[in-house]
Amino acid sequence: MIAVELQNLAKRYGRKQVLKDVSLTVASGDFMVVFGLPASGKSVLVRLLTGLEAPDRGRVILRGADVSKLSAGERNIGYVPQSFALYPHFTVRQNISYPLDLARVPKAEIEPEVQRVAGLLGIQDLLDRKPDQLSGGQKQRVAIARGLIKRTDIYVLDDPLVGLDFKLRERLIDDLKRTQELLKVTFIYTTSDAVESLMLASKIAVLDAGEIVECGAPETLYANPQRVQTMHHVAFPQANLTPGMLRQQSGELLVETPLACMKFDGERPEKPFGDVQIGVRPEHIRIGAPPADGWLTHQAKVLLREDLGGEEIVYLDVNGVVLTTVLRSDDQTQQHVEIDQVVRISIPPQQMVVFQEGRRIGVCKMSE
Amino acid sequence: MQPTRARTAVYYLILWLVAILFFLPVFWILMASFKTPNDILAVPPKFIFQPTLSNIIDMLSRPNTVPYFINSLYLSITSVSLAIVVSFLAAYALSRYKFRATNFLMFLILSTRMVPAAAFVVPIFQMFNAFQWRNQFGVLMLYTMFSIPFSLWILKGFIDGVSTRYDETGFVNGASRLHVMFRVVLPQVRPGLIAAFIFNLIFVWNEFLLNFILGGPGTQMIPYALAVGLVSAGGNIDWAFVASLSTGYVLLPTVMIFLFQKYLLVGMTFGTVRGEV
Repeated sequence: MIAVELQNLAKRYGRKQVLKDVSLTVASGDFMVVFGLPASGKSVLVRLLTGLEAPDRGRVILRGADVSKLSAGERNIGYVPQSFALYPHFTVRQNISYPLDLARVPKAEIEPEVQRVAGLLGIQDLLDRKPDQLSGGQKQRVAIARGLIKRTDIYVLDDPLVGLDFKLRERLIDDLKRTQELLKVTFIYTTSDAVESLMLASKIAVLDAGEIVECGAPETLYANPQRVQTMHHVAFPQANLTPGMLRQQSGELLVETPLACMKFDGERPEKPFGDVQIGVRPEHIRIGAPPADGWLTHQAKVLLREDLGGEEIVYLDVNGVVLTTVLRSDDQTQQHVEIDQVVRISIPPQQMVVFQEGRRIGVCKMSE
Repeated sequence: MQPTRARTAVYYLILWLVAILFFLPVFWILMASFKTPNDILAVPPKFIFQPTLSNIIDMLSRPNTVPYFINSLYLSITSVSLAIVVSFLAAYALSRYKFRATNFLMFLILSTRMVPAAAFVVPIFQMFNAFQWRNQFGVLMLYTMFSIPFSLWILKGFIDGVSTRYDETGFVNGASRLHVMFRVVLPQVRPGLIAAFIFNLIFVWNEFLLNFILGGPGTQMIPYALAVGLVSAGGNIDWAFVASLSTGYVLLPTVMIFLFQKYLLVGMTFGTVRGEV
C-alpha cells in the first residue's frame, strides 16, 4: 500500500524556486530518507508534506486521499522537528504527552502511552525534568518520543540528529531503525548526512536543487548511481569527481581523463562528444601495483593523510587532480604511505563511471 | 594594569559620594514628611527630630487625596494591562506574519513616543473636547495607547526569540492558532510581559502634562495633586503636604523597581538585552 505520494510539488519564495517538480512515492512501512545537501529544499519539502505551507503547484496524497487542502493538524502526521523545539515551560512528561493532550485523549490512557514511548527510547528516568536540565542527546530522544507517541502510521523526522556528536548519533541511528521496524510504520526522514542515509534507509531519495534526482534502495544507489550527485554525495568519504572529455576517433569512443585516455564502455550516447565527469569511489583507488591485468596505473604524490584508526583517508595529487582513497589498517596487501611520498596507484577502469550532464552514460575500459 | 585595593576603594568612595548626592533631595523629602512644618525649614537642617505622623494624617484627611491615589492606581494598572493584551496580540502578528514594511510600521508606532507630550497636548485636548472624551474612559484609552508602543517593541523582541518551530510543532499536532499563542508562546515570553508592564506602569504613574490638561474628577492623578497642592492658601509652599504626598507617591514605583530591577533593563533595551530573565 502507498502511504505517501507527492505529485509534482513546486514552491517558490520570492525569486527563488526552492522546489521545482518533486514527485515521490513512499510505500507503507518504508524508511524513506530524503537526502539533500543544505539548501537543497528538504525543509520546504517537509513543510509542504506536513501542511505547514501550501505548495504553489502539485498535490500531497496521504493514505490514498488528497490532503492538499487540509491543514497541518488534519493530516495526522507524527512530527519530529529540526532542533528539538521542546517546550521549555513543560516537563518532559508534558512535552511527550502533548500530541495526545491536543487530541483530547483521556488522561488515563495517556500515562501508559508516555511510559511506552519513553521505554522505547530509554528516557523513563527523565520524565519529571524540564528540558533545560537535559543534555543534547536526551533532548533529542524526548523530541523523538513526542513525535512517536502520536497514534498514526506516518511520521516525519526533519533532520533530527543534526548537531549531535558522533557517538550519540550512532546510538540514535540504531534506536530509530529498531523503533521503525518494531512499529511497522512509515518514516520520512530528511538529512544531509550520507552515513545516516545509508544506515537508516530502506529507500533513499536524493534531493538536489529542488528536484529528486534519484530514488532507490541504498545498496542500489551506492553500487549503481545513475546521477553524479548521488555518486558524489551519498557516500563517505565522498566519491572523487574529475573532469573529462568524450570524443570519437576512428569510430571508437574515447574518454580523456587527467590520468589517461581510455575507451568508453557503454551504449553509445546521443551526444558522443563533449565534457563529461568521471566518478571513482575512494575505495576503488589502490595504492600499489595492480593485482590483475587491465587496471589503470599512475604516479601520485601523497598530500595528506587522515588517520581514523580503523582506516586512513589519503589525499593524492595525480597530475594536478586531487583524489582521495581509503586504506584499511588491517589490509596487508596495500602499501602504507607518508606525506610527500611518490607512489603508484591503480584503478580498475570499470569502476570509473562516466557522467554526461549529470547522468550516467557508462564506464571506462582499458585501450589495448 | 590590575587595580589595587586602594584604587578600588577610591572608585567606590567616588561612586558612593555621587549616589548620595543624587539621593539627598529624595532623602530630604522623606525626612520632611515626618517633620513638623517648623522643623522642615529649620536652619541649620535638623537631622535629629521628634518624628510625627501629623503631616501624613493631614494629607490623607484632605478631601481629594484618597481619590487621587485611587485614580493613579486604577488608570495606570488598567491602561497598562489593556496595552499589554493588545501589544501581545499585535507583536505575535508582526512577528509571525511577516507583513511588508513591518519594520517601518514598528518605527511609525514607536515614533508616537518620540515626540514630547507638550508638542501634541493641544491637538489632543481639542480632539478630546470635540469628541467629549475627557472622562475616565477617554483618559484610560489615551494611556492605553500611550503604553502600546514600548510594550509592542519589547514583546516583539521576545516573540521573535521564540522559534517558529514551537508554533509548527503545535500546528502539526492539531493545535489552533489561539492555543499556540496562549499556551505555547505566551508562557515563554513571561519576562517580556513583566518588563513591559513595569516599564509602562512607571511611565503612566509619572505622567503629568496630559493629565493636567485633560484630567477632571475621576481622572486626576497624584502628579496633578502635587502641582495643585504645592502652594498653600497663604501663598507659601506647603512643604508638609508636598513631602508627605511625595513619599506616598514614590512608594509604588520604588517597590516595583526594587522587586523587578532585572526586567527594567530588558524594557530599556526593548528585549534585546535579556540578562538573566
